[in-house]
Amino acid sequence: MKQLLNQNPKILLISALLLGTLLILPLVVTSPTLMQIFILIILYAYFTSTWNFVGGFAGVLPLGHSAFIGIGAYTSTVLFQTFGISPWLGMIVGGILAAMMGVIIGLPTLKLRGAYFALATIAVGEGVRVLVENVKQVGPLMINGPSGISIKLAESSFSAFQFDSKLPYYYIILTMLLIVLLLTYFMMNSKIGYYLAAGGEEPEAAEALGIKVSRYRLIAMAISCFLAGLGGTFYAQLMLYIYPKSILGLDLSFEIAFIALIGGRGTILGPVLGALLLRPVSELTRIYFGSMLPGLHLVIFGFILIIVMRYYPKGLVEPVKILLNKLFINRLGKQGGPDETDSAGKAD
Amino acid sequence: MIGIIEALINGILMGSIYGLTAVGLTLIFGVMKVINFAHGSILMVGMFAAYWFVILTGWNPYFAIPVVVPLLFCFGYYMQSFIIKPIFEAEKDVREPITVIIVTTGIWYVLDNLALMIFGAEFRVAKTSVTGQVFEFYEMYFLLPKVIGAGITMVCGIYLYWFLKHSRMGKAIRATSLDREAASLMGIKQAKIYNVAFGLGSACCGMAACVLIPFYYVYPTVGVPFDIKAFIIVVLGGLGSIPGAILGGIIVGIIENVGAQFMAATWTELLLYGVFLFVLLVKPSGLFGQKHDY
Repeated sequence: MKQLLNQNPKILLISALLLGTLLILPLVVTSPTLMQIFILIILYAYFTSTWNFVGGFAGVLPLGHSAFIGIGAYTSTVLFQTFGISPWLGMIVGGILAAMMGVIIGLPTLKLRGAYFALATIAVGEGVRVLVENVKQVGPLMINGPSGISIKLAESSFSAFQFDSKLPYYYIILTMLLIVLLLTYFMMNSKIGYYLAAGGEEPEAAEALGIKVSRYRLIAMAISCFLAGLGGTFYAQLMLYIYPKSILGLDLSFEIAFIALIGGRGTILGPVLGALLLRPVSELTRIYFGSMLPGLHLVIFGFILIIVMRYYPKGLVEPVKILLNKLFINRLGKQGGPDETDSAGKAD
Repeated sequence: MIGIIEALINGILMGSIYGLTAVGLTLIFGVMKVINFAHGSILMVGMFAAYWFVILTGWNPYFAIPVVVPLLFCFGYYMQSFIIKPIFEAEKDVREPITVIIVTTGIWYVLDNLALMIFGAEFRVAKTSVTGQVFEFYEMYFLLPKVIGAGITMVCGIYLYWFLKHSRMGKAIRATSLDREAASLMGIKQAKIYNVAFGLGSACCGMAACVLIPFYYVYPTVGVPFDIKAFIIVVLGGLGSIPGAILGGIIVGIIENVGAQFMAATWTELLLYGVFLFVLLVKPSGLFGQKHDY
């Protein structure tokens, strides 16, 4: 905690301002549609931040993250529909299940090299989707295959994790995002974080130093998948309808990976930045061009990805930081060029 | 019993077409050490090109081959030199060029969705003189275009193998895939080889595309299942090995078709993924791959 507060006061100020804006946002925004868009932005920032634990810090490219989100969503939903178990409890169960799946999958695959690992995650992600699409019922549990599950409308209450207005959803996901970001910060600056960083760059050298790279990668995987599962439940409760194409499969996995890559994998704010940039693109193109030009937002994503990777392979966080530095240094009248602070701090 | 043999042969037929696509992928990987995620989309481009050729000229799709194959060769050649090369250059010293992989993913999305925007999502079929014709063999029926397709792809595979072994360019390509720096020291221009390799890989897709038109639907995301199968095949056969790709293709084709005799088609997908993961974990270098393919 002390470390957190010892950051450059400029950065803290800007972070506080940002946080404040996010907190009072619902008071300014009244339209539920607009609120929904913001909720989705924060949700995707959340999903991508969970992806970051593996894709950012462990140095590999997981392209099947949606499987874990989907596991979380389906678990809590099925438990709620069949046994009436509160989605909050279901959320924890879903998270644990997702984490277990993650570890089981991670054990053999995290040893693979970059491209092979990416392929394996695609296979797993698609495999889970095909599996869920094909299964109608398992004992008393209704899964409904491709048509998905519709969540019973209960009265708007905290225990049922359903609300009439968008406000509670917004604050819940905002809290979840903040928790994940804090976790990310602490992890980055902890022993585990350093081990993972070493393992990501030069696994053999790290092993030679006695770092059990695969063990730490598994820990990161477990955390990542658990949190992803939680997010899945949130999504289910927000949308009140889940089906394989929406919550599982390549599209979601790739969108998350794209957001992380464009924003900046391995940084704290990269995923948030990426989500802030790309989600609105997605929503706006869907609203204005959806019927005429289906798929336009994905074309734009692809282009942005190619261009960003060409010029800023590490993502847009650094260039944006430098830009903001220039603006704020001039405004606040301080001297000097861009900050030389470590990028591990709670960035501006 | 007859059903199983029929499925087996169908699997071999379809598998050799999968194999040709995989040959293209494995060629690109062997030379550039890059998994081209956009490979399926290139196939899709080829299929649309062949489709429009057939629709506009009314000719046999096999006549499209001399048009579509060079077209896709150029497509791949220039895609590599304009889009992929600059990123590749930046990552020259990195052991595993992940950014390039990411970019090919971006290309995949752009191509597939551009096609969706321009052509719409409908499934199209090209009515040709060979569509629906059946070839009979001992009470088993096979789609004629499939048989022709398999034959053509076999010929292509053999030709490519010969080309790589004996022609000058082929040897240069093999040299580059074995050791980039050494090849470069021998006077082989890396950039040109990459372009050619990408072009050849795309040309393979073009050939497969023409051969698929008579019996396969054409739609913007048609490349995706082929893409995924191509990855599976290439890992099965060994990244960088052409005979491996063809053999792997046949194996995948057989699993798919024979599996469908015993379970619903959607479950065969899962079976393929299972086999894929199994191979990845047990013998990632595949059947013919080298131990350290770097």
